[in-house]
Amino acid sequence: MDTLDEIKKILTEILDIEGQEITPETYLVRELGTESIDLLELAVAINAHFHIEVKDDEIFVKALRLHLQKAKDEGFDPAKYLAESYPALTTARIEEILADIEGGPVLKVKDVQSYIEWQTKNKDND
Amino acid sequence: MTLHFNGKKALILGGSCDLALSLATALIEAQLYPVLTFRNALGRGKIDAALSNQRGKYEACYLNFGERDSLAAFLAQTGEEIDFCVDFAQEDFESLIAAADEAQVYQYFTNNVSFRAELLKKVARIMVRRKYGRFVFISSAAAAKPNPGQGFYAAAKLASEALYRNLGIELGGKGITTVMLRPGYIQVGRGKTYLDNHGGEALRLVPGGKFLTTGDVAETILFLLSTSAAGFNATELNMDGGLTTGK
Repeated sequence: MDTLDEIKKILTEILDIEGQEITPETYLVRELGTESIDLLELAVAINAHFHIEVKDDEIFVKALRLHLQKAKDEGFDPAKYLAESYPALTTARIEEILADIEGGPVLKVKDVQSYIEWQTKNKDND
Repeated sequence: MTLHFNGKKALILGGSCDLALSLATALIEAQLYPVLTFRNALGRGKIDAALSNQRGKYEACYLNFGERDSLAAFLAQTGEEIDFCVDFAQEDFESLIAAADEAQVYQYFTNNVSFRAELLKKVARIMVRRKYGRFVFISSAAAAKPNPGQGFYAAAKLASEALYRNLGIELGGKGITTVMLRPGYIQVGRGKTYLDNHGGEALRLVPGGKFLTTGDVAETILFLLSTSAAGFNATELNMDGGLTTGK
């Protein structure tokens, strides 16, 4: 089972959404209605399942608006600032997020997947 | 009344104090498995001496609230099967607010509040995975009614109570609950020194007319860990004979 399938399985169990389609493009909060307590459970489950360290802000892009405000206050380029704050996200994904931010919480299943794969690679390199 | 428990392994933070040792004996009698923490050789020695006839029925682990790295090592040792956590840990710091050393103040809150917050996060996440957990924080009547010189102690206790309270609010639905117990005067530990000097005066302030014993408190904690006390969550309980309720 690949990372995406594992995430789908965990999400289905936590959110009790058997039968609902989940793709890499699915928004966790906007579409699946995930709440902060569900994200906590998801973080714990990912930690246990993939044996990786999970930083809740990084995996769920939680402090996005705070980072953007800080970049603005200190005169940094927002995309570069976010790339430093969220090293698991690609440049293309960060651009996508910046374009999408007015629509609400940006977190997608593929962001969780990127984080897991990035952390797994880091762990393997250690 | 027969008490029932949803689990077996109980962390006892600050495990070398007299109250913790009294509780450990009660837990072992109730077929639970206490894991008591100590922060120096003296503490370790106290635990082993008090429980010398209970070998194999408890564990003692190093954990120092003043040493952040000790937390990861401690959790690696305790493993993933934590059902209960009883928290007695608290350094003493007696000083008038206007007379305190600033560096000591920063260190005190780092050790007694920030470290505790990190510990709660990590233990709570273990419990979330297990879908059950019960915390009992041993606060103090001094949190509600401090004497001069107890301001920092009371502030750290109140801050810790707030952390535990919110944990119970946030995770109650996931089976993880909290209770904060505020014992009053106990003739043991740092309370004994005070009562040796001011016993008569202190007793006049307790409508219940008597001080607590370690056995009283241990029995109450045992009850709070049991399924019979499941209705208590995210709340403070005063156990002080009425000390903090009256004028």
